[in-house]
Amino acid sequence: MKKVLIGLLGVSLDMGTRENRWERWRPTVSLFQHDDLLIDRFELLSQARFRKLASTVSEDIEQVSPETKLNEHLVEFKDPWDFEEVYAALYDFARDYDFRDDEEYYIHITTGTHVAQICLFLLTESNHFPAKLIQASPSKKNRDSIGTYNIIDLDLSRYEVLANRFQDEIVESQALLKAGIATKDESFNKLIERIEKVSLRSAAALLLTGPTGAGKSQLAKKVYELRKQKHQLTGSFVEVNCATLRGDAAMSTLFGHKKGAFTGAITDRAGLLKEAEGGLLFLDEIGELGLDEQAMLLRALEDKSFMPMGSDSLVTSHFQLICGTNRSLQKSIKEGLFREDLLARINIWNFELPGLKDRAADIEPNIDHELKKFANDSGRVLRFNVESKNQYLKFATSADATWQGNFRDLNASIHRMATLADTARIGSETVQEEIDLLKNQWHASGRDKDMDVLSSVLDDAELSLIDPFDKPQLANVVLVCRDSRSMAEAGRKLYAVSRQTKKVANDSDRLKKYLAKFSLSWEKVVANS
Amino acid sequence: MSNKVYIDGSMGEGGGQVLRSSLALSLITGKSLEMKNIRAGRKKPGLLRQHLTCIKAAKEICEATTSGDSLRSMELTLAPDKVKAGDYHFSVGSAGSAILVLQTILPPLILAEGKSTIVLEGGTHNPMAPPFHFLEKCFIPLLNKMGAKVSMNLESWGFYPAGGGRFTVEIEPTTKLRPLEVLDRGELLAKELNVISANIPAEIIQKEVEILKDKLNWDKINEVSKVNSPGPGNIIMTELKFKNSTELISEIGSKGTRAQIVANKLIRKVNKFLTQEAPVGEYLADQLLLPFALAEAGSFWCTTISSHTHTNIEVIKKFLDVHIETKEYKKGALVTIN
Repeated sequence: MKKVLIGLLGVSLDMGTRENRWERWRPTVSLFQHDDLLIDRFELLSQARFRKLASTVSEDIEQVSPETKLNEHLVEFKDPWDFEEVYAALYDFARDYDFRDDEEYYIHITTGTHVAQICLFLLTESNHFPAKLIQASPSKKNRDSIGTYNIIDLDLSRYEVLANRFQDEIVESQALLKAGIATKDESFNKLIERIEKVSLRSAAALLLTGPTGAGKSQLAKKVYELRKQKHQLTGSFVEVNCATLRGDAAMSTLFGHKKGAFTGAITDRAGLLKEAEGGLLFLDEIGELGLDEQAMLLRALEDKSFMPMGSDSLVTSHFQLICGTNRSLQKSIKEGLFREDLLARINIWNFELPGLKDRAADIEPNIDHELKKFANDSGRVLRFNVESKNQYLKFATSADATWQGNFRDLNASIHRMATLADTARIGSETVQEEIDLLKNQWHASGRDKDMDVLSSVLDDAELSLIDPFDKPQLANVVLVCRDSRSMAEAGRKLYAVSRQTKKVANDSDRLKKYLAKFSLSWEKVVANS
Repeated sequence: MSNKVYIDGSMGEGGGQVLRSSLALSLITGKSLEMKNIRAGRKKPGLLRQHLTCIKAAKEICEATTSGDSLRSMELTLAPDKVKAGDYHFSVGSAGSAILVLQTILPPLILAEGKSTIVLEGGTHNPMAPPFHFLEKCFIPLLNKMGAKVSMNLESWGFYPAGGGRFTVEIEPTTKLRPLEVLDRGELLAKELNVISANIPAEIIQKEVEILKDKLNWDKINEVSKVNSPGPGNIIMTELKFKNSTELISEIGSKGTRAQIVANKLIRKVNKFLTQEAPVGEYLADQLLLPFALAEAGSFWCTTISSHTHTNIEVIKKFLDVHIETKEYKKGALVTIN
């Protein structure tokens, strides 16, 4: 590839028209005197008033570098210390220059005023000059007039030492996002890696989805802390659960109001969007937001401005938005409960946080984290026995542990055990008691769930005729049916054991008869899903 | 011998000399050259600008096809075609030595069909290369005794780091170099010392001359100031003219080196050569090897054989089916080709 150098004539450093100039280090000429650097073309930028010096420098370059083709360009600025003027002149040159893919460009930053050097740097950094920087320096012992040169590639990923530093920084950032918990679940760690990258490179809206208690709110707060630490945000973290916003209060909480806007509006209120100015706004359970508020929010996001209630002037606010939801917004759109255009706005980056059950490997580090938190809050440092810890972990990672409330359940569970422990150790007895409690709790909520399922296929009168004994079984059968593509498939799953001893596999028939006992059919079960 | 020659560029001292000799021999023999490890182990390994100019020159006089001829490359292949006599013009950048370019293309052009005129630009009196006058006074006369007709004419002097020197070389070829024996200096006919400078304050040169006059009680100590050169430069050259051969010993003055030191260095070398008896000095021995090998016979007595010369012998043997013998001989060495 041809090497092309672009540089300003150094009206003081390149000075000299008498023979003794060769004894001095002249940065521009020196770049053509190195035996390991061959520049095929030189674009010399100078001004008309320095024509004489420019021609001496050109002749000298021709002499020491007959291989180089030389082009002179007039780039005029009256005041070389005027940033605007110098930048504009160099910008114009860069814009008009025909940069080609098969040439390598070098911007010489040794010559020119500091202002010119800054402009060259900025234009290179922003890729207006698709080039590397080259810096000439005089010989240390001042023995020869050639000195040395350094090539600086602004693509920092090319520097190993820097890459290592960046790697350390990334690890630190990720640790922050994970709240210092050494999570082991691979897919979760990958998710954090991605969030780290996105949060530091973009201020676009993030949508965090996942079951309740999966840690959406905590993660939003950590994203804020990370960006604040890197000086990317100056404002504060503002958080609200949209399920708590109802009626007039919803509008005023989000967008503020003027005094007297409605009954009870005694003073002006800024609203959360304004409070989040320069910071981060986390709207949890965004799916619960009313349609009017959705419309206002959309406008505020598009225009970066909105109208507080009772006000006739627009208020502006720039903030980063993170939304959280545990329900499918697509479904809400179909039901007419959520605006499609708003989803498009807030869904630029979608991250799905898995529930605790899907992160079995992370349960242990989270237990340790919860114990530490308890110690900080209560001043009591507690540990498990080896035995009791295994006991708890065994249960926690078993199929029996559904962790319906995710981290909220884990947090409460550890809190209970820690509080009940009589010594500094949480013993087997406490653990067993806790396991029973959790089982009960999840079973109870399971019972509620069964009722939800059953009431989707049977009315109250029909339900009242079914024994409690049959209810969980029937609810499970309904769920399996809905999860299967055909009655045969559902039958295979439901009679997985007994069908093996049968000569004729009549799973569909058995299932059909079972459903009929409750006046149900395959079609009815599947239709009401 | 096969038609392709592999050269390990790191052999011996692994310098540019291996490259230049290989290029010259490839062109003369018509054998393809494949080089690896070019200048391996040097501070800046691989091909530098001056080497690229040598390759370019070699390529041009025989329309060779090459690969790897790029800056800092450590591998090179060259497939030569027939060497064409003619008018050529080569310029060396970074004030590199134009003499070294000549060294690459002179032997092939001596054996080409037809007369050549070469214009060379760049450094003529460089620190790490034989100066123009060494070739003119010592090497060319012996070469011409072997049947070539070469003359050199300096138009302007090129010193490091400004370069800008220029000279022409006229070559009338021969089909075969004649063997030669250089075994006796003969009597010392003249000794002459020239202090050359360009664009350097007179008082500095005056001091140099005074020191030399003081230490060497010679009749002919000339100060030739203000030679034609675009940049500053200073060289002291001593010509020792014997009946059968000439030795030129020089020392370059550079900024920051005291005149006293430059003068002392030169005087030590001159006195050493005068106390010895061999007609061929260390550097001339190096130059003579190739033409002697091409003549396929001859011998010379030299003051010493450097590792440079040993490497050169290795390279020559890769291309030519010659026997080169070196043996110690009266406080020096005898080199015989047969």
